[in-house]
Amino acid sequence: MRHDGKEQANRRTFLKFAGAGGLAATAGCLGLGGSGGGGDGPDKIVFGQPAAQTGQWDFLQPGVSQATDAAVKHINDAGGPLDADFEVVRRDTAVKPQEARSVVTQLVENDDALALLGLFSSEINPLFDFLQEQKTPVVTPWPGSNFLDTRGGDHGTPENLDDDEWVWRTVISDTVHTAGAAKRALDQGHSRVGVINGNTEGARSWADGFVNAYEEGGGTVAEQVEVSQGSSSYQSALSRLFEADFDAFAVSIPLEDAITLLGDWADGGYGRQPILSDPLAQDELPKQVGSALDGAWAASPGDAGPSYDTFESEYNSVDGDAEINGWTAPAWDATQVAALAIERAGEASREAVEKNLGPVTRGEGTEVASFEEGKEALADGDEIVYRGAATAATFTNFGNVFGSVTINEANGGSFSTIETIPAEELRQFVSEDEY
Amino acid sequence: MGLAQNVVFGLVTGSYIAIAAIGFTLIYGIVNMINFAYGEYLTIGAFVGVLSAGMLPLPLPVAALVAMAGGGVASLVLARAFFTPINDTGPVPMLLTSIGLGLALRNLIRLTGGRSARYFDTETATYRFDGLPDLAVGPVDLLGDLFVTSEQLVVVGSAVAVFVVLHAMLTRTDVGIAMRAMGDDESLARVRGIDTQFIRDSVWVVAGVLAGLAGVLIGIQTNVSSSTGFSHILQILAAAILGGAGSPYGAIAGAYVIGLVLALSTAFLPAGMTGISTAVAFFILVVVLLVKPSGIAGQEVREA
Repeated sequence: MRHDGKEQANRRTFLKFAGAGGLAATAGCLGLGGSGGGGDGPDKIVFGQPAAQTGQWDFLQPGVSQATDAAVKHINDAGGPLDADFEVVRRDTAVKPQEARSVVTQLVENDDALALLGLFSSEINPLFDFLQEQKTPVVTPWPGSNFLDTRGGDHGTPENLDDDEWVWRTVISDTVHTAGAAKRALDQGHSRVGVINGNTEGARSWADGFVNAYEEGGGTVAEQVEVSQGSSSYQSALSRLFEADFDAFAVSIPLEDAITLLGDWADGGYGRQPILSDPLAQDELPKQVGSALDGAWAASPGDAGPSYDTFESEYNSVDGDAEINGWTAPAWDATQVAALAIERAGEASREAVEKNLGPVTRGEGTEVASFEEGKEALADGDEIVYRGAATAATFTNFGNVFGSVTINEANGGSFSTIETIPAEELRQFVSEDEY
Repeated sequence: MGLAQNVVFGLVTGSYIAIAAIGFTLIYGIVNMINFAYGEYLTIGAFVGVLSAGMLPLPLPVAALVAMAGGGVASLVLARAFFTPINDTGPVPMLLTSIGLGLALRNLIRLTGGRSARYFDTETATYRFDGLPDLAVGPVDLLGDLFVTSEQLVVVGSAVAVFVVLHAMLTRTDVGIAMRAMGDDESLARVRGIDTQFIRDSVWVVAGVLAGLAGVLIGIQTNVSSSTGFSHILQILAAAILGGAGSPYGAIAGAYVIGLVLALSTAFLPAGMTGISTAVAFFILVVVLLVKPSGIAGQEVREA
């Protein structure tokens, strides 16, 4: 066989192309050219969504999933962040910390998610240190826990990641809406209340927030009873609670337990004014408990953000008929704001998202109601300020938002909004340096 | 609300725990295994009941009978499929198999039954007993303002019916007498010509029927979900052990002790500690077992 120069050159050329092709293919398999590498112009950008597809809060997930899906569609219709295909991978945590830890690892390690659009208080609080180690922004619509009032966010220094705590939430804290519940209870003349709450982090957090605000407002808590969730009967606990003298009683426990508990309350004929925690403003509750619940009310995070109409229109344009709840609009905001952070950064990396979450929501700039408007403004070289659907979505230094509170009352088997308490009236309950 | 009202609550709780605990303890006493999948038999029965009542729709008593039949069939089929083949391998493989089966069943029910809770459509009536004489003793009000609901009466009435039928079965029927004989000494029972496999199958059916009934009774008070049985298995286990594992009469006594402790501890624990009533029930279990390791009605084990 002859080995002239031309043949050798051809073979080298072939090997070069084959090698380059193989390297490119291997890089694709290894994710080197994917969304997590931080290179310009990724083909695909992935966010993760730890979700409550099963478990005691699963009745709230359909609305959040539909809002997220609507946001994904909207963002892709607008060209996607950095013109890439945008995708949200959803995995079930059942709102259990151990499963949440596993899901977060999968989303970060396997799915290459640049941001996480979920996690409840019950998961974030015990996993807080673990989440810091992931160095992946968690922009979640769920947690009301006052644990996060002084944790999370960028501490007002977006470019400096050293002081960041990587958790942001687009829903108002329990501290804010329990203040609304306490204010309304006091406005109604209820100077003494009883409190009955479940024994999980979320149920306790609501009760603690309500008790603090109520007592600061001058009210007296006559009795507080904590119950084990999942019980077949709450009558002994109710018997204990109603031995005390009070005008109204606050209930903080997941929906299925609340149906049993308030069914026992109705059967026992205990009477007095029920005040419900915000997750209980679901029509299933009065439907199952019956007319005894008429007049019961819940103070929920308000849907009074400047961009609510934009959200609602997009929400109704996607498949699904999930009921809008207090976490639905915040889920839209979480997705929008994280996508805008990537667009502003000009690169697809977790650090880029973290550095830009604050700047796209605070300060001066063109006010935008959606990713589409934000992408256009950024392309024009403007700074942007996202104005959200649930709240204005202006992140505090601790990654929190502030907003109004709506009062939803049960009557005739369903809840309806009867009053909105503006955010300004609740600011006195929340110190700026502690939120 | 006083002591008497909480005793009523405790008796109601004890009643449905007792029905389930009898089935659990029969399996232990006669098949000689701790069946951790037993909670899922409750769930199966509860789902059969709620679907029968809601979709067919059948009246609640008929739906309960269908649920009992469903529980019995499920129990027998699962036993034949998973436990009978390893019957001679000893208690540990049987225990591990039951744990695995329980996990598989729970997730299967979750997948097929959906994640939402389901409810029986019941009309609740509350009966009050305000006219009773006030027998207050010191600060304790024994009978003032007592109430009971129609569902609670159904639960207690069902339990009493089960106890009567069970007693009749164990003392008056050939199958029941053979069950007791097998529980005492299986080898001797076999020598005496008892068809031990038939008796085992009978135990599985009876336990499943009781689980189905207990599932429906829990369901009419709360709801039916994939975790219905799992959330009660520890109470059932505690009642069976407290009563003396293997003793149906002991299981009844143990269940009422657990029910009363749950109700009274919630009512009288210091404020802020009422959420640990289940832990108190287990504390009582430990105390009783320290005093009487064989349980309330268990037979003492004698050294050879």
